[in-house]
Amino acid sequence: MSARKPYVRKMSKTSWFLTHARFKSYMLHEVSSVFVALYMWLLIDGLFRLAKGPEAWEAWLSFIKHPLVVILSLIAFAFFIIHTTSWFKAVPQAMRIQTGEHFVDGKLIVGGHYVALGIFSLFVLILAGVA
Amino acid sequence: MSKRNIQLEVLRYRPEQDREPVFQTYTVPCEEEWVVLDALNYVKDEIDRTLSYRWSCHMFVCGSCGFKINGEPKLGCKAFLRDYGDKIRVEPLDNFPIERDLVVVIDDFVDKLQSVKPYIIPKEEKSVAAGEYIQTPAQLKTFKQYSMCINCLLCYSACPQYGLTNQEFIGPAALALAHRYNMDSRDVGRSAREHVLASHEGVWECSFVGACSIVCPKDVDPAGAIQQAKFTSAIDYLTSMVGIGGK
Repeated sequence: MSARKPYVRKMSKTSWFLTHARFKSYMLHEVSSVFVALYMWLLIDGLFRLAKGPEAWEAWLSFIKHPLVVILSLIAFAFFIIHTTSWFKAVPQAMRIQTGEHFVDGKLIVGGHYVALGIFSLFVLILAGVA
Repeated sequence: MSKRNIQLEVLRYRPEQDREPVFQTYTVPCEEEWVVLDALNYVKDEIDRTLSYRWSCHMFVCGSCGFKINGEPKLGCKAFLRDYGDKIRVEPLDNFPIERDLVVVIDDFVDKLQSVKPYIIPKEEKSVAAGEYIQTPAQLKTFKQYSMCINCLLCYSACPQYGLTNQEFIGPAALALAHRYNMDSRDVGRSAREHVLASHEGVWECSFVGACSIVCPKDVDPAGAIQQAKFTSAIDYLTSMVGIGGK
């Protein structure tokens, strides 16, 4: 008869991410996507209102200027920053660019993403008449 | 040489007497340049010869002495005591059944490793007399990082997906090795590995926590390999849909 009796440790399905700071940071990134999705939904809703006509559009504009919506937007913006920075940080792992016997430095790839983000943001701000 | 006493808390599990693992503390007089493995060896040689753990090379080549040290998967031979306080907790690697004390059951990983065919599948078998399969330094560079894996299983211990899926997930090291052979210019086995690599338990089970790459003692970056393999797998899927064969 075998004397073996391996001991199996079970992982909690609901609280595993509390066991390490690394997992908490991962979950923060995952949760941030909910805010990204919600804000996208708000913007798409704006597009539909625009298509409906001037009154619907004006109503939407005054809705997003409501102090409560502004506060929620600022919270969403904070989560956007978490989401963006954590994604950009991970890009060099997923996207390796090889030239001959070398790989392009990951910092350059991440930097390129921030430059692209800056250019797009500036473009949008100019379109919106802010910058 | 200066010595200091370290309280080594080791998780013990003796299947013949313990119903569940329990911590046992040893006071170990340590040299400053020791690693955790040296402290375990001291316990084994001088204090308690019933303590069980795996080790071999003592120079992070063999990959045998993976433990969870102060909550972090580490190689015992690479964890220098000078980086720790006077109390060090050593546990067996997470996500594997405990066989005895710090020894875990790794059969599941060995099966998974075999399932990804971690060897070159050439287009045409050549005889030894016909010479080597030639490759340029640039072609070698493409996958070399992923070939540095020593199967120490720190990545499996760090990976929550492997634990949450009850070992269903193929896991970081095996997937990184599959990717390593897929990227090899001498290999044509991508379609032979596809049913494992591109399956639900393969790369798509990975949610990119990234812990595997952080704990890897050989800088293999399995998380990166898996994300790249996801891209290849998606391209293969699309090309197969329009009837163009993959590699």
